[in-house]
Amino acid sequence: MNSPGMTTSGADSIDPVLAGLAGLAPTDTPDLTARLFDGWFRAASLIGPVWVAAGSDGVSFLRAAAELSEDDFRAAHRRRVGRPLRPADVVPEGLEAALRGDATARPRLDLRGLTDFQRDVLAATRTIPAGETRPYAWVAAEVGRPGAVRAAGTVLATNPVPLLVPCHRVVPSGGGVGTGAVGRYIFGTPAKQRLLRAEGAAIATSTPEEGSAR
Amino acid sequence: MSTPTVDEATAPRADPDADRVVAALVRDLDDGFAELVRTYQGLVHAVALRTTGHRADAEDLAAEALLRAYRSLADHRASDDGVSGGGQIWLEDLAPRPWLLTIVVNTRRNQVRDAARRPRTDGATLPDEPVSGPSVEERAERREVGERLAALLAHLPETQRTAVVLRHVTDLPLTEVAAVLGCPVGTAKSHVSRGLARLRTLIDETGGL
Repeated sequence: MNSPGMTTSGADSIDPVLAGLAGLAPTDTPDLTARLFDGWFRAASLIGPVWVAAGSDGVSFLRAAAELSEDDFRAAHRRRVGRPLRPADVVPEGLEAALRGDATARPRLDLRGLTDFQRDVLAATRTIPAGETRPYAWVAAEVGRPGAVRAAGTVLATNPVPLLVPCHRVVPSGGGVGTGAVGRYIFGTPAKQRLLRAEGAAIATSTPEEGSAR
Repeated sequence: MSTPTVDEATAPRADPDADRVVAALVRDLDDGFAELVRTYQGLVHAVALRTTGHRADAEDLAAEALLRAYRSLADHRASDDGVSGGGQIWLEDLAPRPWLLTIVVNTRRNQVRDAARRPRTDGATLPDEPVSGPSVEERAERREVGERLAALLAHLPETQRTAVVLRHVTDLPLTEVAAVLGCPVGTAKSHVSRGLARLRTLIDETGGL
């Protein structure tokens, strides 16, 4: 080293290499806040008020406000999605319409934290049109894992974005038409029946047959 | 090496933001994390840029490292729900600046290792692939001093490069360079010196600055 000065500060100020290195610190730092944080807000939906978290890539988490306090929702989002939260300043495009039941509104979803299988199951479920239902076995077959009916059911039971991925349209085999056995739902079976009925799906409105709930 | 210098290790410049950021994190994890991002994202990005050498990669690395930091903070907080209060003590003792930069360096190391196992197929430059061959010298002639230096930095061994970047690009005190590298201060100092010496040799070999 041919440091010309006797003290570090003196050397720093005149050594062209050190001066050049100091100049390598970028002056135009991007603000990563929007990329890191999800925004949270409360919205109206077909099943009542919901908490929603969404980031720049889309909606990441949705839960019923009747079931979780604000703090519980934020804690659940932290465990599930693992991103910091701040109050939202914008609501994702199409979200409010989708929550009101507008089938043409398709807000973007951020499902990065999920496994490929979970993402595939949710993507297949999202293709089921309003007014129709599919059995769990259809979803499993659709993602190329016909043996994984139970695993597909588990993914849907813990759907991070219910309503937006219409897991209520997936019913037990032999369920749906005429049987009244609509199966489990993250917001409860009565809510599932109400949603399907509101969409005009062919489910029995009374006298459910016994036995076929998966 | 024989030049007498002020021993920086005995006079570390304290991080002026540490107390404020830690206090904010103790009050509220998410608000505190916003404060942490505002305070340190420039530094995190600078280190990410000078270790990856690519602007887009640097932003990805910075974001990934900050998210890992958030998850670590959340985990420590969750461990606080017990009776021990260990997470709170951990947080109050946290030196956020070297801790964050350690995560950046480790995240980068994981990315490089993963990329080596499974080469990228999207046409992007492989991380850490040294820019090599005559085209470098050719382009270097047209480059600003800074760009030349940045390109030459990429030729240093990883630890020396990290040491030089932390000490001389982001002006971190040696104690924190040592904390990030996970080595004694004397060893960190030697990594910086050897990195600088190597850099000077590379500069001379390629025609000076």
